[in-house]
Amino acid sequence: MFGYITINKPELKIKDYNRYHSFYCGLCRTLKEKYGFLGQMTLTYDMTFLILLLTSLYEPKEEHSEHHCIVHPVKKHAMLVNEVTQYAADMNIILAYHNLKDDWQDEKKFKAYVGSAALKGKYEKIQQQYPRQCKVIEESLMQLGQYEFSNEKNLDLVSGCFGNLMAELFLYREDVWEETLRKFGFFLGKFIYLLDAYLDVEEDIKTKSYNPLKWIKDDENYEEFCKEMLVMMIAEASTRFEQLPCVQDGEILRNILYGGVWNEYNKKQNKDQNKDQNKDLNGKEKVEKNDRSI
Amino acid sequence: MTDPYKVLGLSTNATDEQVKKAYRELSRKFHPDTNANNPLADLAEEKFKEVQSAYEQIVKERDEGIYGRNDNSYGDNRWNATNEESNEWQKDTKLVAAANYINSRHYSEALNVLNGMSDRIGQWYYLCAVANSGMGNNMEAVDMAAQAVNMEPNNQMFVALLNRLQMGRQRYQNNSAGYGANPSTCGTGNMCCDLWCADSLCECMGGDLCSCM
Repeated sequence: MFGYITINKPELKIKDYNRYHSFYCGLCRTLKEKYGFLGQMTLTYDMTFLILLLTSLYEPKEEHSEHHCIVHPVKKHAMLVNEVTQYAADMNIILAYHNLKDDWQDEKKFKAYVGSAALKGKYEKIQQQYPRQCKVIEESLMQLGQYEFSNEKNLDLVSGCFGNLMAELFLYREDVWEETLRKFGFFLGKFIYLLDAYLDVEEDIKTKSYNPLKWIKDDENYEEFCKEMLVMMIAEASTRFEQLPCVQDGEILRNILYGGVWNEYNKKQNKDQNKDQNKDLNGKEKVEKNDRSI
Repeated sequence: MTDPYKVLGLSTNATDEQVKKAYRELSRKFHPDTNANNPLADLAEEKFKEVQSAYEQIVKERDEGIYGRNDNSYGDNRWNATNEESNEWQKDTKLVAAANYINSRHYSEALNVLNGMSDRIGQWYYLCAVANSGMGNNMEAVDMAAQAVNMEPNNQMFVALLNRLQMGRQRYQNNSAGYGANPSTCGTGNMCCDLWCADSLCECMGGDLCSCM
């Protein structure tokens, strides 16, 4: 996964931040316990968000604890774990497994081969427990691969594939919230896919990789178009979120959906602007030098 | 049908947040797990279901209140394509067939019919927009709806659809206040310009944010 669905830290209250962090640490520890060091390496913010949302919706029993961790060996960290954490850890392994497999098949990275081989057994076990999710994830990624191969330009179609994948992932239980949760996941997935395409487009053009935005990159209103497109997707997701009875941790969830999801987008905007300014400055310097030589 | 607000013990002008909180409290109280050993477990379960459907009903009503009835928001509600009997387009059997597919939520079949047509009037774009919206193709849906409005700016049904498709965006921007970082709400989109604005504002109040400006 990509890690874009994260908090906007400066706007978050300290107690909310601590709670968010406890869930993050809880997921990290669960991954380590269930899937070892390799599992721990797959930790992402996106999955922490999944835990937070499903915890808010279902309010399962929580277990608090304090542990040392490898990243911060001295200080003890508060950790929060519940049944959703277990689910998120399993889903994370499914995605990591497919990711590594793709890397191996596409780019023949040896590390990816070792990784996917190491996760294979674990993946097969999860597959038995969650056949519905595994089937849809496999199908969606396959379809996505076909679209990429045939250079699909329709943004709704390609991002919709990842949307379907996320829709299935967010569906923890098939109950009264099914339709709303599915749509929430669907549009969040479209947002993630398109944001990733937006952030990588320059690199993908350079390396001649597939990117659904590369055909419109040089359009005059490209930046405006991308912003509109991303707002549209996250707005649809947020509409569905507001229809769910999520009260607990509502502030953290809104901090993410209405703020934090834009972190990487804003970083790129600022970087591009600085680049433009530097370009302008360099241009001016050259002009001045020329003046002197005359 | 019982009044869903009464079930949750609320007045009709309760905020969305109050509705959610009331639902939480009552569903916890009547949840089958909390009443497993209660002799009145059956009654509690019935109450639990009542609370759940009351919540769903309120969410649906409020959604329709904003979006207007008779339309389909991503397949949430039945969309009624055949409510205006006098319309000229209903003589076109293909458009009617597409509309019927949409009514029964068969969006991809509807698009198949529509894509096979060469005569593309406003209604064609309108139906395409609704079908795409039903399939979750929200970008395509907006383009098509805008095209329909472009062709017939006075058609209220077209205008209403376009507005509804763009409504979520408006709400998102309103809700974003206070969470920062959202490019659709924060300032002019230009950091320098924002800084200049902030500096000017500061100076108006007698202070100075950047002394160099």
